[in-house]
Amino acid sequence: MDCGITIILMGIRNACLGLLISALTIAGSGTIAGAALLDGMMGSFEERMGKRAQAKGERLIIGDFYSAERPDSHGPIGAMGDHTHNEGEFMFTYKYMRMFMEGNRDGTKNLSKSDVLNDFFVTPTEMTTQMHMFSFMYGLNQTVTLTAMIPYVLKSMDHVTRTGVKFTTKSSGFGDIRLGSLVRLYAFETPSIGSHRFHFNAAVGLPTGDIKATGATPLGVTRLPYPMQLGSGTVDLLPGLTYAGGLNDVSWGLQAIGTIRLGDNNQGYALGDEYEVSAYGAYRWASWISNSLRFKWKDWANYEGRDPNISRTNPMGVPLVPTAETNRRGGERLDILAGINILFPEVMELENHLGLEIGVPIYQNLDGPQLESDYTFFVGWQIIN
Amino acid sequence: MSNVIKYILIAYLIFIGGAMMAQAYEVTQVRDGATIRGKVTFSGTPPGPLQFEVEKNPEVCGGQRSLVKVEVQNELLKGAVVILEGVESGKPFAKQEFQGDAPGKGTFQYAEGEKLDLQVHTKNCNFGPFTGVLTPDEAVRFNNHDSIKHTLHTFVSLDSGGSILRTLHNRDIRPDGAFDRTFGSDKLKESRVVRITCNRHDFMQNWLYVVKNPYFAISDVHGHFMIEDIPPGHYIMRAWHPVLGLQERDVRLMPNTAFVANFAFFRIREKAMTSRKLSFQSEEAAKKEVSSSLD
Repeated sequence: MDCGITIILMGIRNACLGLLISALTIAGSGTIAGAALLDGMMGSFEERMGKRAQAKGERLIIGDFYSAERPDSHGPIGAMGDHTHNEGEFMFTYKYMRMFMEGNRDGTKNLSKSDVLNDFFVTPTEMTTQMHMFSFMYGLNQTVTLTAMIPYVLKSMDHVTRTGVKFTTKSSGFGDIRLGSLVRLYAFETPSIGSHRFHFNAAVGLPTGDIKATGATPLGVTRLPYPMQLGSGTVDLLPGLTYAGGLNDVSWGLQAIGTIRLGDNNQGYALGDEYEVSAYGAYRWASWISNSLRFKWKDWANYEGRDPNISRTNPMGVPLVPTAETNRRGGERLDILAGINILFPEVMELENHLGLEIGVPIYQNLDGPQLESDYTFFVGWQIIN
Repeated sequence: MSNVIKYILIAYLIFIGGAMMAQAYEVTQVRDGATIRGKVTFSGTPPGPLQFEVEKNPEVCGGQRSLVKVEVQNELLKGAVVILEGVESGKPFAKQEFQGDAPGKGTFQYAEGEKLDLQVHTKNCNFGPFTGVLTPDEAVRFNNHDSIKHTLHTFVSLDSGGSILRTLHNRDIRPDGAFDRTFGSDKLKESRVVRITCNRHDFMQNWLYVVKNPYFAISDVHGHFMIEDIPPGHYIMRAWHPVLGLQERDVRLMPNTAFVANFAFFRIREKAMTSRKLSFQSEEAAKKEVSSSLD
């Protein structure tokens, strides 16, 4: 009983903390007015750059400029929070993500089904994660762009048991809502050195995704293992830093974003913290089309604690499935992703961007046995007014 | 309330009040006012008009547009801003309207009274004339009379030539929409020049000089300008053109006098240079065609 009350109180605390952080983020954003955060604090740098520009007969522009009207003004569609918006500008995005995983791996070594079944009664064989993401961005003022993202998640995992029985578990529903701000730090541009923009990413993930998803298994209807749950169950902080540059038809960017879990969720565990770095380059072939190549490094830790409702062993005491083990969730991966951005003609003054990106891993090191990634695909449509 | 807080509050009010008083222009009756008139000339070959292929909204803006930055006829320069600085009280602001070059129909409207009250009426993909003025800490009304949106992007120039620009505002003006934007003195600091552009239409470019009193004029198509009802005193007179640069001179005006002040800009090679030579003479002397160059 006491345990139940504690869990409820923790849930209430986490929800309140999330709302508080969201409110502070938005309220804080509202109080920052006028200019990029570091504007006016770069005197000597500007003086030096200004002299160089003048010597070349060029003009140095400083400040929070942003022009959406090129296909590569947005980063590859798979990147999040890669660009900011001007005051009063609004962007709606629908993005679809599909990730396919097949086969198991431990460290950098591939494992066969029988390798896994030597230690576990069940092995996952493949998994498909699909996500429909609806996101909104709004330029609150010249410094801050507010962001919100609501995901709808569909997961499907195929398994096989030692006895050769195959089964599939499925879960679907809304995931964790993200609210945040992108805060412009500084930007400068001259014709010969191009444009260079920096912004800070600050977001909060709210525990709106289900972490009690159940499904039919050979053991009956049970709580599904961790990868099949739809949310983290914790309030997550997602701080980051983004740099984007461009010169003529070439553009590039660098982004580092972390996911920090605040405490445990109400089922007694916490997903591992994550760190992600993306570096990309893009080339604009025409005023309406550009291609990109992105490298994404992701590192994620094992979970802490565990959900007592997720079975770890079968009735005979044999370890059930690797996905039920919280110490087999961490890993690191380097993906290479190729993308295409298309800028469509305006319709009713609305700017339309289409983005596609597909990537494959070139390095994976997993605390396994764990399903390894095979490909990730993104397609998104962005409408800006 | 403790004494410390009281003292801090009083000091703050004195500081704020002092700062406001130091910056405010006061409208008073001008007696024995002086007049300055003159012309602004340009020697050399002015840069030709910039030609633009219109990519966005050609149905409204036209397929091609040009931008004449240095407008000269018979060596007489149009659009130079002539300013008298240091006048802290005097005549009210005068109602004036300046229209942009055809096919643009945008206008800069200045109101009558204690404030400049600049209204920018964007029309036919044109904010207004290439040059104008604005006052700090006063809302500027940006109107869009076009059926398409424009993206207003304003900059403060950190030098008189506009080679270092800092963004001030950057937002869309909806079709037939309007909003106010203030060019705060905290943002302008010591800068005197503001640039306005449209991010969607690169031929929409204008330059505004920051004034603090109504003693300014913009040279007309004949290069002429006139500033009237100037309280006698010692001031700084400036002539500025966004491409050709800035000239300045101390002037000492006696009651009920009329002076002629001519400014000459010229261009060397491809880079715009300003003349250091400025003629400033009384009307009487001018009639006698006696040059009294002060340089």
